[in-house]
Amino acid sequence: MNKLVRYSAQAVFYALFFVPLAYVSHQPNYRYMEDDIAVLKVAVRHAGEIIGECKSIVGESHGMRPSSMVQAVEVCPRERSPLELELILDGETLYRAQVAPSGLHNDGISSMYQRFELPAGPHHLQIRMNDDIKVDGFNWQFEQDINLQPAQVMVASFKEGFRIQ
Amino acid sequence: MKSLLKKGFNALDSLFSKVFTPAWNPMYQLGALSFFYFWIVAITGVYLFIFFETSITGAHASMEYISVEQWYLGGIMRSFHRYASAAMGVCVTLHLVREYAMDRYSGVRWFSWVSGIPLLWLLFASSIGGYWLVWDIQAQYIALLTAQWFDWLPIMVDPMASNFLNEAALSDRFFSLLVFLHIGIPLSLLLGMFIHIKRITGARTNPAKGLAAGTLLAMLVLSLWQPAMSQAPANLDMTITEVGLDWIFLNPYTLIGSWGPGQTWALLVGLSSFLTIIPWLPSKREKQTPVAVVDPENCNGCGWCLADCPYEAVTMKVHDYKKGHQQSVVDPDLCISCGICAGACPSSSPFRHVDELTTGISIPGFHIKELLSLTENKLHGLSTDKPRIMVYGCDHGSVLDDMASTNIATISMPCTALVPPAFIDYVLRKDLADGVMISGCCEGDCHYRLGNEWMNQRFSKERMPILRTRVPRDKVRLRWLGVQGTKQLGREVAEFQAHLEEEQLDFVELSNE
Ligand code: HEM
Repeated sequence: MNKLVRYSAQAVFYALFFVPLAYVSHQPNYRYMEDDIAVLKVAVRHAGEIIGECKSIVGESHGMRPSSMVQAVEVCPRERSPLELELILDGETLYRAQVAPSGLHNDGISSMYQRFELPAGPHHLQIRMNDDIKVDGFNWQFEQDINLQPAQVMVASFKEGFRIQ
Repeated sequence: MKSLLKKGFNALDSLFSKVFTPAWNPMYQLGALSFFYFWIVAITGVYLFIFFETSITGAHASMEYISVEQWYLGGIMRSFHRYASAAMGVCVTLHLVREYAMDRYSGVRWFSWVSGIPLLWLLFASSIGGYWLVWDIQAQYIALLTAQWFDWLPIMVDPMASNFLNEAALSDRFFSLLVFLHIGIPLSLLLGMFIHIKRITGARTNPAKGLAAGTLLAMLVLSLWQPAMSQAPANLDMTITEVGLDWIFLNPYTLIGSWGPGQTWALLVGLSSFLTIIPWLPSKREKQTPVAVVDPENCNGCGWCLADCPYEAVTMKVHDYKKGHQQSVVDPDLCISCGICAGACPSSSPFRHVDELTTGISIPGFHIKELLSLTENKLHGLSTDKPRIMVYGCDHGSVLDDMASTNIATISMPCTALVPPAFIDYVLRKDLADGVMISGCCEGDCHYRLGNEWMNQRFSKERMPILRTRVPRDKVRLRWLGVQGTKQLGREVAEFQAHLEEEQLDFVELSNE
């Protein structure tokens, strides 16, 4: 092959390599979600109430010592209640779960995140949570009519009560 | 499937060798091209980093500035950065498939194969990190799906997704972390690349100059014609509906969305684990013959075998008993049994006055004395009515099976560089044959990496042991045509024979005059 033919053929091969490469590096478009869908994200980061009461241990194990040396010692349990969570949309339960506390001794924060794809339009949203197993039923409640726009992201989070953004 | 792939690669090899010449054939330097693209990405990355702003509002805007205001330099750098990454992705994938198809992944090569697999993860992670920094809607898609993917793992205490709930939840700190990762992961990739080639003598990490120049030119044209741009800025208060994707690196992400994070983990970890064990899976490929053995009596410590071993399997130590000499040592874990060392050993000369030819280093599966006896036996039986030719070939290159005839003898061995140049001298001087043809794998694509290159250099007297000047060069031919060139080799042997016949006639005529 003479040089000119060879270089021209090389140019063709470079084009055959790079043109499709440039194309697939951003195309074709990928449809991730339909246009008339909105997203509701629920994220809760909250420490449940401590399970059990602090106990004073004065006079038990220190019984042998002179009374002037005995200090009142309180032992408090560290374990926290899990969170009971329920999300009800238009009267239908979308999500119900128990979120365990983190940490080896179940003494950390409970953390959850859920994402729901919902048809855009008006909805009735209820969120209920119990963070204390000593209490029956839900001690945190939230209820609101919402109107989701297409492609809107609505976030429900918790900080001393539920709120939506 | 493997043989089909091999046929495909052979066909592509031939086509590219015609168009690019064997020296520039990109198929023979996919690993080197991957290194080359890495360096382009690294250099352009440093430039982009100077102008990149590590903040939620600054990230997208600074990339726009680079592409629009500074299109003539920053824009080109950005396009090189993107397209070289993509090209590296393609080359690495082709490199993997090719090493598999050509049976270059098992035995001693397990180390290169296995160490290649983490490189795939690091390469993908590097590219995905880069796209994330731009903070356009593709980056938003990456953020959401990466969070979904990692949050599936039970190790995540705090969901990663809570960093991307909405615009209000996003923090600049996260961008600092991303920049840190986008530097750290490519650096680990580079380290991994060096480990990957650690056991390979003189690994080819630079492509041929002509190929590199052509690639740079092609990328420049592409960058001016289709500059890499961002998509619309990310907005976490809105969901993504349609998004342009880099399909080379982000295709696993479509699985996370459609299939689920757990399934995607299972697929990718499963695939990587499967790839990892491939070198040890039962297969029809030939078992490796026993590794090279050193004979201290015949080794004088010249180091030529060390210089020629393609897998760094030979080292030197103080000679067992010859004072002031060294002696070769073979590491059995590294030796691939190609026999190139035997071809390099000065003791492998059939001119030596010994009862039985012995040598300093040789592979038991094809000892040098076996090569000598095969050569003598086959050549003694040839008829002299036409010029006699000795064709040496290798088990991975042009197939010699149907080439033998009454005047043509053929011997195939693991690698033709096993033939010491002294053998060719011997065959011609002792008038055992009228010509010697050396064949093998394609030029630049030796199954044992360096065989044909060493042979070329021994013949042109650039490498020890040389083919002596007294050997008439018109009676010796080196033809590297590969399996795909088997028919052509047959034609060339016939043509060589005709040429030798003509010379013989000329010689007779001259003598008569
Ligand atoms: C960043 C990615 C990679 C780069 C830059 C790279 C580069 C290279 C280079 C330069 C060589 C030496 C070639 C030579 O001189 O003969 C090589 C050899 C090799 N590579 Fe890779 N490689 C990469 C990924 C992979 C992957 C993913 C695999 C397969 C899982 C792989 C399998 C191999 C094998 C088996 C060899 C040995 C070939 C032989 O000994 O003949 N590589 N690679």
